[in-house]
Amino acid sequence: MPSEAIVNEGSVEVNSSARSRPQVQNPPRTNNTSASSGEDEELMYGAKHVIMLFVPVTLCMMVVVATMNSVSYYSLEESSNFVYAPFQDKTASTGTKVWQSAANAGIIMCAVIVMTVLLLLLYKYRCYKIINGWLVCSSVMMLFFFSYMYLQQVLRAYNVPLDYITVTILVWNFGIGGLVCIHWKGPLLLQQAYLIMISALVALIFIKWLPDWTTWAVLGVMVIWDLVAVLCPKGPLRMLVETAQSRNEAIFPALIYSSAMVWIVTMADDGGHSKKNKKRKEGEFDNDVEEEDDDDDGGFKEHLANGVSGNSLEDSAAARSAFRALGDMTQGVQQTNLAFSENYWDVEDEPTSQRQVIPEGATGREPTEEDNAAAKTSKKKKRAKPAGGARQTQSERQRRTAVPAASEDDGELEEEKGIKLGLGDFIFYSVLVGKASSNGDWNTTLACFVSILIGLCCTLLLLAIMRKALPALPISLSFGLVFNFATSALVQPFMDKLNNEQVYI
Amino acid sequence: MDLRRVNNTEKLAMCRKYFFAGFFVLPFLWVVNSVWFFKEAFRKPHYTEQADIRSYVIRSMIGAVIWLAIIITWVIFYQTKRVEWGSFGDSLLFIIPYGSA
Repeated sequence: MPSEAIVNEGSVEVNSSARSRPQVQNPPRTNNTSASSGEDEELMYGAKHVIMLFVPVTLCMMVVVATMNSVSYYSLEESSNFVYAPFQDKTASTGTKVWQSAANAGIIMCAVIVMTVLLLLLYKYRCYKIINGWLVCSSVMMLFFFSYMYLQQVLRAYNVPLDYITVTILVWNFGIGGLVCIHWKGPLLLQQAYLIMISALVALIFIKWLPDWTTWAVLGVMVIWDLVAVLCPKGPLRMLVETAQSRNEAIFPALIYSSAMVWIVTMADDGGHSKKNKKRKEGEFDNDVEEEDDDDDGGFKEHLANGVSGNSLEDSAAARSAFRALGDMTQGVQQTNLAFSENYWDVEDEPTSQRQVIPEGATGREPTEEDNAAAKTSKKKKRAKPAGGARQTQSERQRRTAVPAASEDDGELEEEKGIKLGLGDFIFYSVLVGKASSNGDWNTTLACFVSILIGLCCTLLLLAIMRKALPALPISLSFGLVFNFATSALVQPFMDKLNNEQVYI
Repeated sequence: MDLRRVNNTEKLAMCRKYFFAGFFVLPFLWVVNSVWFFKEAFRKPHYTEQADIRSYVIRSMIGAVIWLAIIITWVIFYQTKRVEWGSFGDSLLFIIPYGSA
C-alpha cells in the first residue's frame, strides 16, 4: 500500500477550485433548448455531453470495482512476472520499491512509445491492412480469451458449476457478437456496452498483472505521456491525427467511445432563427478497435506464457494513447471531428455546394455561427480515435452547413453532435479506481471516483474553451492520484478515529 | 449505428446477414437481429423491403426461442443430473466446485 504522504492543502485548493468551476459554468450550459441560435451554439456542448460521458465511465468503473471486491483472483499478486515489469520484489525496502517501480514504469513507457511510433509509421505509410488486422486480432483476443478468463474467475468465486458446453456457447456468442458490433455494424447501445465491457476487462488485467507500486507509477507516467503526446507539436499522437486530417479520412475504426446526441434542427421559416431542440440522445461507439489491440497482439507472441497481458500492455497502451492522440488531434484540427462510425453518414454526398448555401443566407444564421457550431461539435470529441474522425469532421461540417439549406426544404433536419472519449481513458480511469478499491477502503474508492469525474468535467470544460484536441488523462488521473493518497493517508485514519470515539460529524 | 440513417436495401442486407450468421450456433445474433429490426419490420409504415425484413425477423425470433429452450433444458438437465452421472458429469465441468455434492 503506497504510503507517500501528499500535502493536503495543495490538493484541497485544487479540488475546491476545480469543483467551483464546473458548478459556475455548467448551469448556463444546461439550457440546451434556448431559442437563440447563437446561444445554442455555445450551449450545445455542455452539461448534457458531460453526463453522456459520465454514464459509461461510471459503469466501467463500477464493473471493475465490483469485480475487484468479489473476485479475489484479480487482487492476488502473481508470482510470475509481467514481461514489461521485471522488477518485482515484495520484501524490498521502501527505497528499493520506489526505484523498482520507477524502472518498471519507465520500461512500460518505452514500450508504449515504441508502439505508438510504430502505429504512426504504419499509418503514415498507408499500411491500413496491417493496422486493421492488428486491431481485429486484438479485439478477438480481448473478446474471447479475456472474457473466458473472466467468466472462469467469476464462476470460481461464486462456486457455480457450469459445464463446458454451456460455457463454450456463451463465450462464442459473446465474442462473435462483440466482433460484429464493433467491427461491422450493430446497434449503438450494444456497441457501447461491448466497449465498456472490454475496457473493464483490460483494466482488470492491468490491475492484476502490474505490481502494486508500479501501477501508481505507470498512472503517473501516463499523465505526462498523454500531455506530451497530444499537445506537443512533435508528439506522435498529434502527428497521427494531423496526418489523418490532411488525408481527410477516418483513421482507426475502433478504440473510441463516441456518444452522439441527435439534434433535430427546425427552421421556423426562411431567414428565421433556427431553433434547436434536442430530440434524442444516441450513444454511438466507434468501437472498431479497442485499445485492447495491444493486449491482443500479445496473444500472438511467445510472451503469452508469462501472462495474458504480456505484450498487450504495451500494445494497448500504445493503441490507447495513439487513439487518444488521434482523437484529440482530429478534434482539434478538424472542426467537425465527431467520430461517428462510417456507416452513420454518407460523407460523400455532402458536396461543397452545400457550403455555398450558407453565404447565401439560407437562414437567419450567420456563417460564423455555423462555424462556431461546427467547431463546437468537433470539440466534443475529446479523443476522437482516428477512426471516423476526419471523415466525420467533414461530414459534420457539411452537415451543419447543410442544415440551413435543407431546413428550408424539409423544415427539419437531424444533426448529430456527440462526445468521444478514447477507450484508453476508460481503462486508466478504471485501473485507478479499481486499484484504490482493492485496498479495501470505500472512502478512498469514492474519493477517487469523484475526483476522476470532476477531472473529466474540467477536461470537457477546457475542451469547450480551447477548441482543440485535448488529452483526457492528465487532469483526471492527477486528481485521482492525489485524492487516493490523501484519502488513504489522512482522511481514513481520521474517520476511523472518529468512529472509535463515536463522534459523528 | 442508427437505422434511421440507413437506406432500405442496406437494412435488408444487414438483417439477412445477421439471420444467416445466426446459424453458426449464434442465437445471440438472432436475438439482436429480432430486437433491432423489430421496429423496422412491424412498426414502420410499409416499404418495399419490409416484407422480407419481417420474415427474417420472425424467423430470427423463432430461432432464438428454440435455442433458448434448448439451452435452458440442457442446463437444468445437467445441473440436476450431474452428480448421478459420476465421472462423466465431472469431466464436462468447466470449474470444479468445492464442497460436497
